Amino acid sequence: MSASTPAIEVAGLVKRFGAVTALDGLDLRVEQGQVMGFLGPNGSGKSTTIRILLGIARADAGSARLLGGDPWREAVELHRRIAYVPGDVNLWPNLTGGQAIDILSRLRGGIDRTRRDALVERFDLDPTKKARTYSKGNRQKIALVAALASDAELLILDEPTSGLDPLMEGVFTDTVRELAREGRSVLLSSHIFAEVEKLCDQVTIIRAGRTVESGSLADLRHLHRTSVSVVLPGGIGSFAERTDLHDLSADGEHVSFTVEDADLGAVLVDLAARAPRSLVSTPPSLEDLFLRHYGIDLPAAGADAAAVNAS
Amino acid sequence: MTALAPARPSAATPGRTAPVATFAGFPDLTAFIVRRNWLRLTLWVVILVGMVAMVFESQRVAFPTQESRDAYAAIANTPAVAALTGLPYGAGTLGGILNIKIWMTLAVSIGFASIFLLTRNGRAEEEAGRTELIRAGAVGHHAYSLANQLVVGGLSVVVGLLIGLTCIGLGLPAEGSLAMGASIAGVGIAFLGIAAVAGQLTSTSRAANSLASIVLGVSYLVRAIADVRAEGETPDALSWASPIGWAQNMRSFGENTWWPLLLLVGVGVGGCLVAAAVESRRDVGAGVLPDRAGPPRASRRLTTTLGLAVRLQRGPMIGWLLGGMVGGAFYGGVANAMADLLASGNPMGEVFAGGADTMLDGLLGLFLMVSAMVAAGYTVQAATAVRLEEASGRLEPQVAGAVSRTRWASVHYLLGAVWGVVILAASGLVFGVAFAFTASDPAQVWRIFAASLAYVPTLFVLAGVAVFLTGWLPRATVLVSWIVFGASAVIAIFGPLFSLSEEAIAATPFAATPRVPGVEFEALPLVVLSLVALALWALGLARFRARDLTLA
Repeated sequence: MSASTPAIEVAGLVKRFGAVTALDGLDLRVEQGQVMGFLGPNGSGKSTTIRILLGIARADAGSARLLGGDPWREAVELHRRIAYVPGDVNLWPNLTGGQAIDILSRLRGGIDRTRRDALVERFDLDPTKKARTYSKGNRQKIALVAALASDAELLILDEPTSGLDPLMEGVFTDTVRELAREGRSVLLSSHIFAEVEKLCDQVTIIRAGRTVESGSLADLRHLHRTSVSVVLPGGIGSFAERTDLHDLSADGEHVSFTVEDADLGAVLVDLAARAPRSLVSTPPSLEDLFLRHYGIDLPAAGADAAAVNAS
Repeated sequence: MTALAPARPSAATPGRTAPVATFAGFPDLTAFIVRRNWLRLTLWVVILVGMVAMVFESQRVAFPTQESRDAYAAIANTPAVAALTGLPYGAGTLGGILNIKIWMTLAVSIGFASIFLLTRNGRAEEEAGRTELIRAGAVGHHAYSLANQLVVGGLSVVVGLLIGLTCIGLGLPAEGSLAMGASIAGVGIAFLGIAAVAGQLTSTSRAANSLASIVLGVSYLVRAIADVRAEGETPDALSWASPIGWAQNMRSFGENTWWPLLLLVGVGVGGCLVAAAVESRRDVGAGVLPDRAGPPRASRRLTTTLGLAVRLQRGPMIGWLLGGMVGGAFYGGVANAMADLLASGNPMGEVFAGGADTMLDGLLGLFLMVSAMVAAGYTVQAATAVRLEEASGRLEPQVAGAVSRTRWASVHYLLGAVWGVVILAASGLVFGVAFAFTASDPAQVWRIFAASLAYVPTLFVLAGVAVFLTGWLPRATVLVSWIVFGASAVIAIFGPLFSLSEEAIAATPFAATPRVPGVEFEALPLVVLSLVALALWALGLARFRARDLTLA
């Protein structure tokens, strides 16, 4: 495979379940060595896309290439070169965690034993316990160890940290970073924006089975505004007349708004003159980007807009 | 954008072209399935082959001389035997007697073994999401299914071979021995194919097991009708409409006809091929029969403990009720067809009547007991569902609400027992009506209906076994409850075959109940059964309240 072959190349993918269209012309491209964040609300088609990439679901139209191959036709060959972690890991209750790791690895085609043991240690796993006694987080760790200890060129991770505590999430982040440095490609589907921001250089955001935005995090961030909440002892007063504020809302002394990065300096100077008692500014987060720019109609966001219009 | 053009499947669309290396990973997966199931596989082999040896021994003792066997042959062919265990033939030989006594039990058992094992490793794994993990490895599309089919098919072959060799070892004719083993193996392989198709059509293991079991039940009933209609020892044409009938028509220890084995293996292999064809066209986790949309809200009734229990049990409740009523109608109709034959004073009556005044009453008692087994089957299933609810983790959020564990469990258990009584009463009523109609004696309706209710305490005892086990041995509940049920049923019908003493037989739940209307009604056994049931329920519920909830 030449270096220019993308790790994942999906174009116009369509998948229907009866009358429901789960994927409606989805596009996704992951270059080799890239760590791609794959974001979307519940039911937007992330897992369906991944299932088609794994060759366990058929597409109705469009095309998908995995490491240059057909994910359905060449499933076996391709699966030797990828590793997969589902978001909801179900293990055989009568087998131990260690056995499950080895079975899954062997079916993939091998594992680095020292890496496996090191990861079991790092994830603080007892591999001698029966899977029935594991908590959700521990089951998740089993699938993570099996995938992360592999020599796979491409890791497909579908909400891999669900159920992990923050400490273990940290271990996961470190391990994926190491793998990325080795030049492996990663598709990371997630709800956790912080995790995606930490790990991914590229992000694809999908909604209702379509790709709504794709690009590097830096590219997406410049579109972004910083959120600020302040407590102004004198109330909002003339501050409300500024034209560079967005999503402004005021409740007595409490004022919150968002501001474009370019206007931030001028706004802060104005604020300083009003002697605020407290100021909290939230850095541009992927979450806001996701919620505001791409029109995810959250009821709360709609209510905010209504409040501003009313005031 | 691509989305502007109407999207069409092309050669590049995943799923449009046939996969390569469809069987990669097959050896590893076969070893894996054997390792997960070795205990179950071993138990089936030991039990099925062991039964042959035990029954043969008891029959050799019961019919030691050729004269005794000839005497038996003269009376063996009764409609009751034909309906329950198949058309008797060759009763003048030990092989023929062995066939009459045990063949049908073995055939039905291996059919269920195939269905349950195939579903356990197939649809159930897929439902749990583990197949997805496996298929994400370097595993071909059909490798896992083929490994499963091969292991389960292997069970049939091994059981068949060992039955054949055991019979030869016991001194029976070689060809008949092998034909018997092969016919049993053939039933197992045929139902393996049927279960494979059922597992592709449905999307849950429960539905897959039910669908395949219904086919098995219908096959049994069809051949039962055929065997009752048979003239002499010649099979009725209808028996060719049932896979079990095909295997019977191999006539082991009789004519030893081998070609029906091709039909059985054909259904097995054909079923697997159809399953593979469906599998290569569908997504992992999906079935062919569609999942329908349901109501967006729970009705007021559904939000009560009882309402939810009824909703969860609705399918089995209706299914077992219909099964019980069909069975009742069948037995009611058949009983009358026997009346003429029985009028001649067939001495076989002594054996079946079990001390009844007349042979007809004895047969009615036997059939009523078999009807009660259907009702008890539902009750056991419903009672074990409590443990399944706990094991799956669905119980925890329920008792985290304002409902006590004891109340929750009692509602589920009582629903199972009470509905079991409903099935008992309904099948007894249908039985009575069918019998009264054919016998032109309206008084029989009430007599049969009342007699069927004698089994109410038995239902509560069998439910009590599950209640007790759920309290004290939760992990063993499902398996042991069914073993107790199965052993009670087999001992009640075939107890004497295993050289068990009368006292031991009478100590089991079904056999303890007086076989009314054939024998005089006695209240004492029912009182004892009721006390046993009460103790089992009380001990089980008390322990269930006190212990930790445990997952699978």
